[in-house]
Amino acid sequence: MLHLVTDSTSDLLADGARELGVSVVPLTVRFGEEQFLDGVDMDADTFYRRLTTSAVSPTTSQPSPEQFAELYRRLLREDGDQVVSLHIAGKLSGTLQSASLAAQEFAPGRVHPVDSLSVSAGIQLLLRQAARDRDAGVDAAGVVANLERARERLTVWVLLDTLTYLHRGGRIGRAQAFLGGVLNVKPLLQVHLGEVEPVARVRSRQQGMAKVIEVIRALGPLQSVAMMHTTVPEAAEELRARLVGLLPEMDITLGQLGPVVGTYGGPGLIGVATLKAS
Amino acid sequence: MPNAEPGAPRLTLAADRPPLTEVGGRHLNYGLRTALSWLQANQDVINDLNVFPVPDGDTGSNMYLTLRSAVEDAQKAGDPQSAGSVMQAAAHGSLMGARGNSGVILSQILRGFAQGLAGKARVDAPAVANALQEASAVAYKAVMKPTEGTILTVVREAGEAARGAADAGGDIRAVLDDAVREAHASVERTPELLAVLRDAGVVDAGGFGFAVILEGFARALAETGGEAPADDAPVMAARRVGEPVVRAPGESLGATPLRGAAAGSEGRRGAAAVAAKDEGWGYCTEFLVHGPGLDFAALRDELGALGESSLVVGDEELVRVHIHTGDPAGLIAAAAARGRLSKLKVEDMSAQHHEVLERAAASEAETGRSAGEHLGTPRKAAAPRKALGVVSVAPGDGFRQILEGLGVDAVVAGGQTMNPSIEDLLTGVRSANADAVIILPNNKNVILTAQQVHQLTEEIGVHVVPSRNLPQGISAMLALDPGVDADTNRARMEEALTTVHSLEVTRAVRDSSADGQEIKAGDVIAVYDGRIAASGSEDLAVIEDVLGGLDTEPELITVYSGAGVDAGAAQALVEALRGRHPDIEFELHDGGQEHYPYILSLE
Repeated sequence: MLHLVTDSTSDLLADGARELGVSVVPLTVRFGEEQFLDGVDMDADTFYRRLTTSAVSPTTSQPSPEQFAELYRRLLREDGDQVVSLHIAGKLSGTLQSASLAAQEFAPGRVHPVDSLSVSAGIQLLLRQAARDRDAGVDAAGVVANLERARERLTVWVLLDTLTYLHRGGRIGRAQAFLGGVLNVKPLLQVHLGEVEPVARVRSRQQGMAKVIEVIRALGPLQSVAMMHTTVPEAAEELRARLVGLLPEMDITLGQLGPVVGTYGGPGLIGVATLKAS
Repeated sequence: MPNAEPGAPRLTLAADRPPLTEVGGRHLNYGLRTALSWLQANQDVINDLNVFPVPDGDTGSNMYLTLRSAVEDAQKAGDPQSAGSVMQAAAHGSLMGARGNSGVILSQILRGFAQGLAGKARVDAPAVANALQEASAVAYKAVMKPTEGTILTVVREAGEAARGAADAGGDIRAVLDDAVREAHASVERTPELLAVLRDAGVVDAGGFGFAVILEGFARALAETGGEAPADDAPVMAARRVGEPVVRAPGESLGATPLRGAAAGSEGRRGAAAVAAKDEGWGYCTEFLVHGPGLDFAALRDELGALGESSLVVGDEELVRVHIHTGDPAGLIAAAAARGRLSKLKVEDMSAQHHEVLERAAASEAETGRSAGEHLGTPRKAAAPRKALGVVSVAPGDGFRQILEGLGVDAVVAGGQTMNPSIEDLLTGVRSANADAVIILPNNKNVILTAQQVHQLTEEIGVHVVPSRNLPQGISAMLALDPGVDADTNRARMEEALTTVHSLEVTRAVRDSSADGQEIKAGDVIAVYDGRIAASGSEDLAVIEDVLGGLDTEPELITVYSGAGVDAGAAQALVEALRGRHPDIEFELHDGGQEHYPYILSLE
């Protein structure tokens, strides 16, 4: 049997994970001495309240290889069992590395770690496709090959309200040059092929939404779309309505970004993952 | 002849003297120096011929600084005997020093005049008339949409009068006499051609400035005989407007007594400085190489390759070298191998461009640009050259920091009342260290200046995104994508200009009724997208007046407070605005601009 594994940066909540038949390994979030398992010990609203009010900045850490190994052992009970383990971009987190180390405990071909080259809703879109393949009887190698093709067509568009948190977390990378300096600039970033890159800078959320619509319109036919936000459900819902207007046939889900990625995105973030049609 | 307006000043250039049939380089030099002194004497009067009651680019100062740069270079002409050589040097100097729209057009007039005299050591009356007409033609070409009732009309009509006098067989005195009279008459007619002048009750400032220059030039030449004046011959005392002989501009209109020269001059200072992130744009290196037997072409090619903006002129006897280089010592050594050197001058261009030109200083005797005159240490290793850079004009430290934060490579100081010169912008463009550079003028009076910069550099592709105010410039900067080419960026940035509106709050510098508003000197006035939209006695009320009249409420208003605005007062103003407009997001920043207590960006 083919088992799908991911980590908590996919922001797949318990219900969603059950529905897709995916096991989720949590990352860890720390506020000073206190530590929480992402999506297990603390819900997102509580987390964002603390993120914006706490004097201590949270830090995050990848699961240990042992956490993955333990899960893999549970899933690989029968001879025919295989695992495809899909994770946050290796350039953004060491999670994939832990999974790969854990995979070495098992015979070759039993655990297939895959770099999603993406985050959050982007991982979700890939998992949807993998689950469909699995249900259609595609074997592990076939699922992996399809994932590796799909991730090239995947982009997550991230409209930040502020660069403060990305900056604070040291994950700013090439977006650094895009910092507004003194002026409060709201950047539109993209996560594509594992890199966070600046797309545009705007001064207001409305301008940013217009820009998101513009870039998505330019993409051409899409296979699937999913959205995330951190603390702004109404604004995200407004953008979703506009996207539904643009893509009436698409089922666009809207979820809340979890603490790990939220630590870097900060409050006010809206994200849209798009998977282009093949 | 089109010169017979009753009451026009009676010139006596052609008094009982032998005809002046030919002049050379030294005559022109003397004429230019005299013209500069006349322009200086009338600078404040020209400045105050301002159409709008807002503190604006000072036409008189801009023309003065432009002509001063021309005269400085004319003194250093490769062949001081040659009319063509002197005018060529003057034209080059004016192009380097040109600032403001009127300064740029003046530089084009001088360029055209120089083209008309090119290659001529001595010139006669028909040549002078030709050159004036060529000056007009070149000036018209410099402006995309030529407007009549401006300096363009004045130079064209002066040229036509000169042509008429030359065709009638007049000597140089007669040609210039008619040109000057027609220039003044043309100035008087500018309000008939341009409604903004009529409404403001003034004649065109640039046109009047040109008439003053032409008159100073003409009178100096008329004074000379066939002998060339010495280089240090004292210039003729200038007539100032209001003194008996020269009539005040606009006097014949009856409606506008000349405004006092002191009006509106309070606190006006000009600053022409370039601020860049890295220091050092090399050294402006000048010297003469003495022959005999110089191989001019080889010298020009060899030295020209050692720097930028090279000007190597001369012949086998004497070559004048003016090169911007990072390695002045190497340049000097190369030249010394070919001839004896003199008049060696090396200026650190970064120091030169940090020099602040105060208005008062501009009225004083010329001090030269000797700041930082030394053979400095070689400049530090340059950062790798970029594909695309941006140079932005901004007044005040706050705006400089904001623009740098957005990725502007070099900020050239300047703005409303202190327009940067072409050379200032060129220096900024070079310091950006990029193959292509986009200039954001951020002021309507700097756009034309920016559009001339490409003439002075071949190795850098210069593009201008015509931002008319700072909110537009910032909006354009936000649209910049360093990953795509300059043309694509220019198109995007131009599109971004339309996404933002500007509201500039200032104080009226004089009574007026511009744009249908009765305004008293000292009133608070709000300029919305370049038009006076409201006036009153309080900043908040005037801003509210404009916001209340908008069709659609903006989403975000960024308030930039000016120099001298108390931080608490700015904060209180923004709080009051927030209270009245709960749906608009407000941001407050320190812009540091002069003359404008508040600049608001609405988007």
